[in-house]
Amino acid sequence: MPVMTSFERLSEEEKYKQFMERIEAGEKIEADDWMPEEYRMTLVKLIAMHGISEIMGALPEKEWVPKAPSLRRKLGIMAKVQDEMGHGQLLLRVAEDLMAPLGKTREEIMQDLFKGDLKFHNVFHMPAPTWADAGLIGWLVDGAAIITQTNMLDASYGPYARALKRICAEEVFHAQHGESIILALAEGTKVQRDMIQDALNRWWDALLMFFGPDNASTTGTSKQDITIKYRIRTKTNEQLRQDFFTKYVPRILSLGLKLPDETMYFDKKQGKWIYKQPDWNQFKEIIRNNGPKSKERLRLRELSYRNNAWVREALSGQSAAV
Amino acid sequence: MSDSGKGFYQVFEVFSRKNDTAPLQHQFSLLAPNHEIALVMAQENFMRREPVYDIWIVKRSDIRQMTQEEKESLKRLDNKDYRTTKGYGYLKKKWRQYEQEMLDEKEILSWKGEIQR
Amino acid sequence: MEGRDSTMKIMKPEELMQHPEYKEVLIELLFQLADDDLIIAYRGSEWLGLAPHIEEDVAFSSISQDTMGHAAMYYQLLEEMGVGNADDLAHGRKASERRNAVLLEEVNGSGHYLHEPRYDWAFTVVRNYFYTQAKKVRIDSLKSCSYVPLAQVAVKINMELYYHLMHWKTWFIQLVNAPGEARERMKNAVAKVLDDFAGVLTLGSKGKKMAEFGLIEDEDLLKQRWIQAMKPIFEQTNLNLPNNFGMKRGNGRNGEHTADLDEAIATLSEVYRLDSLANW
Repeated sequence: MPVMTSFERLSEEEKYKQFMERIEAGEKIEADDWMPEEYRMTLVKLIAMHGISEIMGALPEKEWVPKAPSLRRKLGIMAKVQDEMGHGQLLLRVAEDLMAPLGKTREEIMQDLFKGDLKFHNVFHMPAPTWADAGLIGWLVDGAAIITQTNMLDASYGPYARALKRICAEEVFHAQHGESIILALAEGTKVQRDMIQDALNRWWDALLMFFGPDNASTTGTSKQDITIKYRIRTKTNEQLRQDFFTKYVPRILSLGLKLPDETMYFDKKQGKWIYKQPDWNQFKEIIRNNGPKSKERLRLRELSYRNNAWVREALSGQSAAV
Repeated sequence: MSDSGKGFYQVFEVFSRKNDTAPLQHQFSLLAPNHEIALVMAQENFMRREPVYDIWIVKRSDIRQMTQEEKESLKRLDNKDYRTTKGYGYLKKKWRQYEQEMLDEKEILSWKGEIQR
Repeated sequence: MEGRDSTMKIMKPEELMQHPEYKEVLIELLFQLADDDLIIAYRGSEWLGLAPHIEEDVAFSSISQDTMGHAAMYYQLLEEMGVGNADDLAHGRKASERRNAVLLEEVNGSGHYLHEPRYDWAFTVVRNYFYTQAKKVRIDSLKSCSYVPLAQVAVKINMELYYHLMHWKTWFIQLVNAPGEARERMKNAVAKVLDDFAGVLTLGSKGKKMAEFGLIEDEDLLKQRWIQAMKPIFEQTNLNLPNNFGMKRGNGRNGEHTADLDEAIATLSEVYRLDSLANW
């Protein structure tokens, strides 16, 4: 019954050539389109990690959901963490469709996370010991996330670009939610102001690491060249980090906060920020799930998944009663 | 154990309508064990910040999608102005000779209300 | 006698000055409504990120947000009556001053939301479903409340209850009809919830006065409406609905509470208490 169509008759090389022509012309690739294995695997890795990072990223802020200091703050942070779960949902759906031909589902994504095969973003391995950390995550971690995500809004993979469009629209609320907490603290008592400075000191290295190493020589591997080749993103890690400094350093200083890096300055001649490198060996350790909170958060995620397995099993029969 | 999850993780596509005159719009897809659970999760997953008037849930496997090859069949030449008003623009000038206004789209669609005599 | 006239309506909080007894009973009712919604929304917020399914996590959180929003509206009414600032009422009151039903303060399961949470989805579905139905019955009655600002709030809250009910009912019916372990878990959860459900349905020692003042109808009548709404569901799922429910662990309307509430208040007010005068 299946008719051999003309596209299928092309050699792998010709298919690859046609594929590259499509993305270079700005066309979007869809889930069921032909794509080179390297493209699929790069996307699976990138998007599954992005998605699971949102799910894991809900946990540090979630610590503050029941504790938020007013009704309005409780509602705001609940909606924010809900969005993180929602972003995880959107991204995992995109990853799952890419993994379907490999016979993998969300179940395998979760199992890969628990086994340590699927990594999550370095920032979500860090502790969030005070209410100011909840604010700082919204303000600066989400700020950093906006910088990296907007860089991929034109990604060649259509489903990812569409998910990112939804996500970035909500990130604007996240950034403002974070700013609102931070500004209230900044305009508050000395205790409150000290809380933000402490949180900033705590998060600084993690924020620098968020964008990834400048190049492969720093950590041994880097996917940035492949993602740029396939038009998934346009800017390098370092360009993104510089963009972040440009947008956020003046705001940090305007609130009377001190940069945790005293050596940092903007070099006008080179047109870039000069800053102290974070410890990239520590970065490698963190993303290997050896960060301060890695084990605890993975345990939380795995326990809740296992503990509720009966619910999924109960409804997994096709004929579930309605 | 991992097999038991498979029946729960079915793909459903979610469509919605903003108001009673808006067309149905695709929102996104979600995983659910059946239509009913998919329905109670759909609104809050994809439309929690916008008005919504109606929701449709469709099982992905019931959708006949096009292959990359079949999408070639969607392309066509730009020589069909006889199908559109663009091909009849000259009528405006013609009617003017008879001292009549042209009944264009804007005019015709305005007739749903009271017609001025 | 004040308030005996069933057609009497109070339009604004300022008018309450002339009706001290009415005001006292109204405050009692508002605390019951506010504290119920606050604590169950708080329990819902602890689930965030831990639900059985990612999509459900998102949906459930909207319900918790709506419900906390309802609590905020009731506290706001109390604030307008001069009882205190809404945030102070929500965060600053001791357990003995709270009027929520004991069932709603119970932990979601063993463990803590940050440490080894073994939360019980069956209990959560049953508690939320049965509570939402009871809330719907109360809200329908409150739509003709003699205190007009509360009647107006009831009309608004009612709008969001359709979704909450549909959501919990769907989960309830599906899990209770599922074979094996799930049905057993659900039956246990139903028994556990009904053991304390009288505490949800009661309006406390001032209930009679509330009816007399035209604030809300008599609690027996409301209870019968709840049973009427639930009966078809119990029949459809082959479960037995008893005529009477328990109040095993005390009457929250009288300020009787468990250690679960103390712990919840300590957590929900942790940051607030750092400096209750500061702007957060």
